[in-house]
Amino acid sequence: MPFYAVAAVAFGYTDPVFNAPVPEWDPRYWDFTAFTEILTRSITGDLRPVFLRTLLYVALALGLCVVIGYPVAYYVARHAGRHRALLLGLILAPWWVNYLTRMLAWLNLLQDDGYVNDLLLLTRIVDEPVRWLSGNPVTVVLALVYGYIPFFIVPLFSTLDRIDPLLLEAARDLGCSSRGAFWHVTLPLSRPGLLTASAITALPMFGDYYTNTLVSGSPTTTMIANQIEFYLLGGTRKELGASLVLLLSALLMVLMVYYLISSRRAEEEVS
Amino acid sequence: MDRRRFLLVSALAATAACGGERPGRSTGSSAVPLTRTDSPGALPLHDDIPPIADGLSPESGGVLKILNYPEYVSPDVLKAFGKKHGVEVEVTTFNTMEDAISKLRTPGASFDVWFPTPDVIGKAAVGKLLLPLNKTYLGNLANAWPQLQSPFYDEGSRYSVPYCAYTSGVGYRADEVTAGFGYGLLWDPAYKGKAYLIDDHREGLALAMLKNGSREINTEDPVKIKQAGTWLSELVPLMNIKTGIAAYQLVAEGQATVHHCWSGDMINAQSYLPKGVDADVLGYWYPSDDLGVVGTDSLAVPASATKPVLAHMLLNHLLDPVVAQENFSFTGYQPALSAITPEKMVTDEFVTEGLKSAIVTPDVYARSQQIFQISPAAEAVWLDTWSQFKAGQ
Repeated sequence: MPFYAVAAVAFGYTDPVFNAPVPEWDPRYWDFTAFTEILTRSITGDLRPVFLRTLLYVALALGLCVVIGYPVAYYVARHAGRHRALLLGLILAPWWVNYLTRMLAWLNLLQDDGYVNDLLLLTRIVDEPVRWLSGNPVTVVLALVYGYIPFFIVPLFSTLDRIDPLLLEAARDLGCSSRGAFWHVTLPLSRPGLLTASAITALPMFGDYYTNTLVSGSPTTTMIANQIEFYLLGGTRKELGASLVLLLSALLMVLMVYYLISSRRAEEEVS
Repeated sequence: MDRRRFLLVSALAATAACGGERPGRSTGSSAVPLTRTDSPGALPLHDDIPPIADGLSPESGGVLKILNYPEYVSPDVLKAFGKKHGVEVEVTTFNTMEDAISKLRTPGASFDVWFPTPDVIGKAAVGKLLLPLNKTYLGNLANAWPQLQSPFYDEGSRYSVPYCAYTSGVGYRADEVTAGFGYGLLWDPAYKGKAYLIDDHREGLALAMLKNGSREINTEDPVKIKQAGTWLSELVPLMNIKTGIAAYQLVAEGQATVHHCWSGDMINAQSYLPKGVDADVLGYWYPSDDLGVVGTDSLAVPASATKPVLAHMLLNHLLDPVVAQENFSFTGYQPALSAITPEKMVTDEFVTEGLKSAIVTPDVYARSQQIFQISPAAEAVWLDTWSQFKAGQ
């Protein structure tokens, strides 16, 4: 129903007195003008770089989630022993604090004269303060990683935890080194979890506008969700915002289909 | 026909059936009069929405419902008013005028007092969302600036009375900015990464026009609007410009060195300074010629009001200079009343000498430009041009 409501706004019309969007619930009267405009702008116009930037930021953030999250999930699942519950609790600890509050705390830490720059200057990693909050793409990507990495670690941990230790023992008995056992047993068996974790993490990243707004607010880092926010929360062209939602959903649907096919294949390979 | 082909054919047939024109759908141009300072207009009255009669007693008991921006009226003022008249005052907030109109149009919803901007009063009156005012209850309207006792957007004050006034200028840190005052501050690479624009399509693009000497901030010419977008886009690589509406906080805390902002934000910034920082670090620049934007907000009574007499009394109450000054101390936005002068505000320690220019006078109002309501088609061009700027184009 919510999806249909978005479509009704995207394909609806504008009230001539209030200049406000009116949803058109009857598909016979749908008007595709706004959607066509958004599609054209996304393929060849001003929204194309925004889509590409969004894909790049999410890809980088996801890559960092893999690089950071996989070792953490692996360690907690296989080597944490009796500290496992404690470590899992620490990973989830940030969720006990409201997201906005956490990000505002980071804003203070990342100020030009904040503690992060103080530390970097003290350790001589940089010669002058890094302008983290001045429309810096690195900050946006790192903020996305910070915000969503628990979503990545938890499902991956769950998959790694279910891998039968006897399989690893068998690999070693057959002459595999620890590294070989990881490459030939653990990694292939954790692929379904990796895919699930990636999907769970990437999907909300695509729709996230507030992280970018908080840590940047600059046109140089605008993502597609910021454009959706712009059209839906301000101004009179909500039909464009709704059209962008539909277009982003279509893109994500393609990625979801790829995920479903890949995860089915991965499960078949495992079994 | 297999299932897959059936679905495909059905989908194509459904798509082909779309796109028709619903019978009776109104797609004509806006029926709302576009008023200007040089062509004022009286808004239409409707026989089915008459004003209240003279000499009625105010309603008591129950809830007086206010529809307003967040933090844009003093809770103490409302509380005292409610206590005096035996009602509870409840404030519902909105963030944009579109949001407010949507709330007013919600079936069954009722509000007693609304704080609209002048550009939406016309459409709200035409759309039968407002109650005509009975001015026998509004004696304090005489305290307002002369131009606003019968403003161009609502000639004869049929539906609204003035509330606050503001200008759009440049707020800055006086401890870091010592020269080059003007819109050029926002184009000065010395402040790269610490410069902000008001996050509003009309204000932002108007700034670019005014900076380049153009007064056509209500133009409907797409070429001129796009030109403003091009001027603004210079700021993306040059300044790494950011957009926002929290100048009162960002300038006070030093996160912004220069911030295109509303005058009230700089007055408010005095309350957001970190401990130990003197208010003299705050400055506000506004042009001394006519290349500046001035604006006002209004008070109106929605047609859905259940306490219209009391609503009129609240409007009159907020036009009282003593009450208005108390309200000003909370909102930071000055009432458009003749009793509020820059000199008095400095003497009363409402603002520092450096922020005296943030106080708007009737003369400033008269000489400045105003952002008017424009046609929906032109509004779409302004919005899309701003969208392109925000996309980093």
